[in-house]
Amino acid sequence: MNMNHVKLLFFATIRERAGTKALEMDVPDDLTIHELKEKLSADHPNLKESMKSVLITINREYAFDEAVIPQNAEIGMFPPVSGG
Amino acid sequence: MEGNFNLQPDNFPTIFSITEDEIDLNELLAKITLTSTGAAAIFTGMVRGETVRGEAHQTDYLEYEAYIPMAEAKMKQVADEIRAAWPVIEGIAIVQRIGKLFPKTPTVLIACTAAHRDTGVFEAARFGIDRLKEIVPIWKKEVSPDGQFWVEGDYFPKPGE
Repeated sequence: MNMNHVKLLFFATIRERAGTKALEMDVPDDLTIHELKEKLSADHPNLKESMKSVLITINREYAFDEAVIPQNAEIGMFPPVSGG
Repeated sequence: MEGNFNLQPDNFPTIFSITEDEIDLNELLAKITLTSTGAAAIFTGMVRGETVRGEAHQTDYLEYEAYIPMAEAKMKQVADEIRAAWPVIEGIAIVQRIGKLFPKTPTVLIACTAAHRDTGVFEAARFGIDRLKEIVPIWKKEVSPDGQFWVEGDYFPKPGE
């Protein structure tokens, strides 16, 4: 199976629960966002609750469950925003 | 087509930034004021030390963080949306300060300029701050005498946002 090297960036509550700002990992080539969330929930139980209402970005644009993760993607994971 | 149908002169300034520095209103206002400008609508939000509305509480400070490159790109998108809805807007400044910020400190500024005040300039600035709170990736943690908690919004962006 071909693998895709991706970089995950965590912010706010999700960063605190993950215990890190960033994580690099290899994922299968055709992995979707939904599958990535399931993988993270399984690998990192701390993140399981967060994955239910997480916002996801791929290369700095909002992305959704059915999206297939492109090569070398930068994936952001965070709660609904609260700037201002 | 776009090049021939340019409602906005190239010299209309758009400023967007995430900063740890103090927000300098006068400097920003000068940058978005043209010789044709006669009105500016400015919104600024600051850290509220005492909250009365809703669940009354005190705030010691707020700690902001941002996904900086994406936040700046989304601020540019907010500015583009303002210009699409109000083509008369001349200059736009959108600035968010991050880091540890204490009560009375300005944290965010949205300013829009136009030739006249009855052009939609107030509505444009209002839209700008509302939109920032929906799609620009910034978060704040509130630290109060009772403990600390992350403030979370309730907006879920849709495809294309």
